[in-house]
Amino acid sequence: MSLLLAESFAERSARDRARALLDPQSFRELLGPFARIASPYLEAQGVVPQSDDGTVVARGTIGGVRACVVATDGRFLGGSIGEIGGAKIAGALELARRDAQRGTPTRLVLALDTGGIRLQEANLAILSVSEICDGIVALRELMPVVAVIAGRVGVYGGLSLSTALCSQIIVSEGARVGLNGPDVVETESGLDEMDSSDRPLIWRVTGGQLRFRQGFATELVSDDVAGIRAAVERAFEEPRELGPLVPQPFPDPRLERDAFLRAMEIEP
Amino acid sequence: MSASVRGRAWFERLTAGAKPIAQLPASVLAADASIEGHAVRAVAVVPDPNGRFPRARNGQMGIDEGFGLATAVSGTPSGSAILAIVDVPGQSFGTREEAVGLQRALAASTNAYIRARRSGHPVLALVVGKAISGAFLCHGLQAGWIGALDDEGIEIHVMSEAAVARVTRMEREDLARVAREVPATARDIRTFATLGGIDRLFPVSDPSAPSDADVAMVVHALAEVLRNPSLGLRNPRERLDAPAALHTRALSRRVRDELQAAWDA
Amino acid sequence: MIETLTYEFPANEGVQHRAHVGVVASGNCEILLEPAPEGRSSIVVRTSVSGFGATWQAVLGRFFTRNPVAVQIEINDFGATPAVVSLRLEQALESAH
Repeated sequence: MSLLLAESFAERSARDRARALLDPQSFRELLGPFARIASPYLEAQGVVPQSDDGTVVARGTIGGVRACVVATDGRFLGGSIGEIGGAKIAGALELARRDAQRGTPTRLVLALDTGGIRLQEANLAILSVSEICDGIVALRELMPVVAVIAGRVGVYGGLSLSTALCSQIIVSEGARVGLNGPDVVETESGLDEMDSSDRPLIWRVTGGQLRFRQGFATELVSDDVAGIRAAVERAFEEPRELGPLVPQPFPDPRLERDAFLRAMEIEP
Repeated sequence: MSASVRGRAWFERLTAGAKPIAQLPASVLAADASIEGHAVRAVAVVPDPNGRFPRARNGQMGIDEGFGLATAVSGTPSGSAILAIVDVPGQSFGTREEAVGLQRALAASTNAYIRARRSGHPVLALVVGKAISGAFLCHGLQAGWIGALDDEGIEIHVMSEAAVARVTRMEREDLARVAREVPATARDIRTFATLGGIDRLFPVSDPSAPSDADVAMVVHALAEVLRNPSLGLRNPRERLDAPAALHTRALSRRVRDELQAAWDA
Repeated sequence: MIETLTYEFPANEGVQHRAHVGVVASGNCEILLEPAPEGRSSIVVRTSVSGFGATWQAVLGRFFTRNPVAVQIEINDFGATPAVVSLRLEQALESAH
């Protein structure tokens, strides 16, 4: 495909990403901005809430089959998940499972672009993430659960844990998949442990290319809407084998940090 | 950060000398015990100063701990319940961990607990110390029944107190004020219980070195829960309907209801 | 903390649809726009940057002088400049017609 025609997925809003992943004209948003279900906890903490709480749920079809895409907006509070966003994701998983049990499956895609749990709603959000984890494993018993990690933030924290529970994981080269963000690692363990300003290193250590190479993703895509759409359809039509959640071999952790990375074929 | 002794203390008292499961990392304790006649596999994550990952020697949930827990939990004998004894200050913060994929290690443990519960093993959790973030998600929060010590040393949150202060650049008093206005940001166990996350609180005389009376009280309560296996088999979604969550999680329920109505419209 | 400001302007035109633009990100704002009963427009601004009431009055005043539409507007603002706010208002109005 000509580069001139490639359309960036990462530059789209969450709403437009959901629109892009659903068949043309099939997009129907649920609990959108005008439902005005916004976080009641943020104003007291000096933050202006967003009308959709930074998570978009849209029904439609994918390849002609009933589908739902849940997309998080990385631009609102780093895409962090609060009570409402968490309830949207967990609720969509529960409804998809209900539909599958009834014999009318709804394909579910989690297009996550999130730094993790929203600090301002901590314990309500962590409870919802426990529901999300259970919801993914329960739905997985019946059909593929597809995660798309192709945004600017990537996926961190409890949502990264959740992503690893999905059966099909599509990552872009530009996305990062890790548990703790680089600034958090630097703050907690020092600059020698991780220099959060060394962006190329961050991508080598947690970027999509590495994750695909490690066997932690089922498909690696470039930042191209058409390519990602096709990958999502393939994930449902021809699901790939994702290795079980067991440790893949790694070098001796007692090695000095840079030596450890080199042994993992990561340039320190 | 000084390493906590609570997890090991409670593990040893509750398993009363049962032989630990071998072939696990030294930071993962597991043993098949009996609680008033009920078979229970107890699991805990504890500090290991000799751990091979330098950033996971203080009881943090790291690579070895996440995968080790998964092994221990998924090996639970048929007919046995599972008891997660929780005292984890958080996840380990290191480059090695991120490169290896710490999210997968925690997912492995989470997955093991969920699959065990869904296949009929009642899963109970007892929070005796800290229960922070990903560590609590992968060790404790998938339990159908969660008890906790009624003690100020219990902390439930998504980051350490020091980290919250750094990120928000707020003083303790301001954080305390926010915690009063927004219970979801409070760290103490009693406030967390108001969110419907805790089934039972245990006032004890010494949380780090439980007395015989403390242990007897907890054992008796656990046995009562085990006599009603459906409690340990509940999934997290069911916590939404807990009496304690009537007001505090009304919004979560409302979103579910409205989502369903729109989905089916 | 958060400042909530309300404004009203006279109106004599209508819009067809409701519209939503923007995002609550640093230097940006989100706008929800809906048709309102004739004669008036009403605006609620929620902003994390206090003390700019006069600026909001001026920006909104200019917009409604050029476009006297009867709409109900909600602006969730995270420090957008007047230029960005004006742009968002134009985008919203275009969507609404």
